[in-house]
Amino acid sequence: MYNEALFYQSNLIYKEKNMDINFSKEDIAFRDEVRDWLANDYPKHVKEKTDAGITINKEDLIDFHKALSKKGWMGYNWPVEYGGTGWSASKLYIFNKELGLAGCPPILPFGVGMVGPVIYTFGNDEQKERFLPDILNFNTWWCQGYSEPGSGSDLASLKTKAVLRNDLDEDYYVVNGSKTWTTLAQNADWIFCLVRTDNSGIKQEGISFLLIDMKSPGIEVKPIITIDGDHEVNSVFFTDVKVPAKNLIGEEGKGWTYAKFLLAHERFGIAGVGASMRQLNRLKEIISKLDNSDLQKKVNELEVALSAIEITELRLLSALENGGHPGAESSILKIKGTEMQQALSELFVEASGEYALMYPGPHGYENNDKPAGPDYAAEGLSGFLNLRKTSIYGGSNEIQKNILSKFVLGV
Amino acid sequence: MNLDYNDEQNMLREQIQKFCESEYDFYKREEIVKSSNDFDENVWNLFAEQGWLSMPFSEQSGGLGFGPIELSILFEEFGKALVIEPYLSTVVLSGTLLDKSTFSEKNDLIEKICTGSIHISLAYAEVDNGYDYLSPSTTLDSKFALNGTKTLVLNGSNAEKIIVTCTNDDTLNIVVLDANTPGVSINSFSTVDGQSCSEISFENVKLDKSNIIATGNDAENLLKETINLATLCICAEAVGCMESCYHKTLEYTKGREQFGQPISGFQVLQHRMVDMFIESELAKSLLIKAMLEVNNRSDEMYKHVSALKSYVGKSGKLSAKEAVQLHGGMGVSEEMMIGHYLKKMISIDALFGNADYHLKTFS
Repeated sequence: MYNEALFYQSNLIYKEKNMDINFSKEDIAFRDEVRDWLANDYPKHVKEKTDAGITINKEDLIDFHKALSKKGWMGYNWPVEYGGTGWSASKLYIFNKELGLAGCPPILPFGVGMVGPVIYTFGNDEQKERFLPDILNFNTWWCQGYSEPGSGSDLASLKTKAVLRNDLDEDYYVVNGSKTWTTLAQNADWIFCLVRTDNSGIKQEGISFLLIDMKSPGIEVKPIITIDGDHEVNSVFFTDVKVPAKNLIGEEGKGWTYAKFLLAHERFGIAGVGASMRQLNRLKEIISKLDNSDLQKKVNELEVALSAIEITELRLLSALENGGHPGAESSILKIKGTEMQQALSELFVEASGEYALMYPGPHGYENNDKPAGPDYAAEGLSGFLNLRKTSIYGGSNEIQKNILSKFVLGV
Repeated sequence: MNLDYNDEQNMLREQIQKFCESEYDFYKREEIVKSSNDFDENVWNLFAEQGWLSMPFSEQSGGLGFGPIELSILFEEFGKALVIEPYLSTVVLSGTLLDKSTFSEKNDLIEKICTGSIHISLAYAEVDNGYDYLSPSTTLDSKFALNGTKTLVLNGSNAEKIIVTCTNDDTLNIVVLDANTPGVSINSFSTVDGQSCSEISFENVKLDKSNIIATGNDAENLLKETINLATLCICAEAVGCMESCYHKTLEYTKGREQFGQPISGFQVLQHRMVDMFIESELAKSLLIKAMLEVNNRSDEMYKHVSALKSYVGKSGKLSAKEAVQLHGGMGVSEEMMIGHYLKKMISIDALFGNADYHLKTFS
């Protein structure tokens, strides 16, 4: 009935390819190189601020990105032929984790993580030459024009309209409408936008992918202040903005395809494991001094859960390295990774006790004398309030669950 | 870095799955649970024929030399089928303890375990000792008389031999004796998940040096490692249960129609099933980490088994409770398999330290 002989035989045939949770020697050497860069070349003034929990400014962010460019690591997720690193999935993972552990600000995803891969995959040669080097050198600051006041989770319902015109032999689009939740648009040189070029068919088919210079006449950026008191996101209004037709990526009406490609591209680091580990380690240190068994239990629970998230990401990585195609499982990482970030920040607030009452805003007690209470109280609140966004952006966690329902559960 | 099972391990899993599908469906299991025996001798013999009873033992002892990874695979699949045969008790707790010891008669006993001709139980728990298994109140005195009471001895009623932890002059001793030795009395009960366990009293049971398996540090390490491996096994069982909980719930909701449509079409149920799927995947990740640490006998193996045990204790029960809820009235029917996963999760959490205990141990 059950072939015993076959079972024993199988012992003899397959023995290589055993499970191994350790990185290769090459990967360990790479990790040490990243640590070395962090110790010596990660800008000191940025490190001092992030270590102290102070929100960094535009210049700090530029310095950080320029330092990465100088090392040749800006194109961390790009193939070599476009000036990227061509790193394996495991190197990409190590890079993200080490930067997070060191407390680096997240690499701004809009240029290198989002529009860059769309340009080198779907753009023409002229567009590649024009835009890619500036992304790698961080000479242009990009922002993302996806969400609209009436189009959030139902992104394909977007209404910002682009109409093709021709004047004096010049083809151009006239763009009217508005985008919202545009992160750091106040600093941006360019915006990549999903615009509606056709209303006749199903809503996904009439969308195009357009690159727009933020200095174009008719663009207005208005700040949206979030509940942490910070100015991170904006509304961007377009009134008869003239955009050269050569700024269209790929084909008109194919924007939805490119948009989906873009969302799937930023698969790694989505869980923010490195950054969460850093926060966890800080919390453990804080809580160990408080002698509070309730908080101790909570931090232990988070440590176990973070370990589960980390290994889930490694499983995805292993599947990729073995030639597999991870699918909707990356939605797990989005959901659990963001829940973890929020839970950690909330525990900072709880550990602050009654001092969670006082909040100076996102930039700390800049000019005032600091009041009594633990140093981490203000930072904890700022993080707690700011990180509410993580379960809302990038496809809200509810949308991620819809994706999992469809692709994993098949309902 | 490779977190995929190798071909041999995949074949092992397939073999166990096929066996459970054809020889161990839920009706068969119910038959065994309701019978006067605690398990099915015939099934146990089939386990022996498959080589499963020899799996974890070293090749010198006549075993297959498989490690914690293969044991985890076996227990995951046993968890899915809710197998109640006393593999944990005879093979893992008693067998691997003997195998790792220097006990003179171990080869003979392991050979009998491999062929399915003996059951041995490990008596490690006592009423007042909580989860501290290293300092039992049961004593072995200078004249080798054993006195004390052990509780929750898995499969105690079927054991020909009992391995007992005891204290001899403040040091831990592990001894083995025949269950029918004068002075041994056994009182047996059924467990919530359909197994059996016993309370065993020892009253001036006369032993001699030949009964001793290990003493002192050796005994402590042997016991700790054995319980740790057994904990890993039942966690793997829990992971199997969690996977089945969401698969069966999904299947049920796709077939159950209310308000003119399958209830799987309702988003509120979809998201709850997605949560079950996510919890099952995260538990699987912690299982992979823990079994590899145990396989490598790393310094952190206890820590990672504790992490896993605390996680499945909580999320496993949660998944099983959700599975019952989403099955509606059927979920609380004894005749449906789904409610039995909840009982299994209760027993898994209760064994070898519950979620709260391991969360503390972890740090």
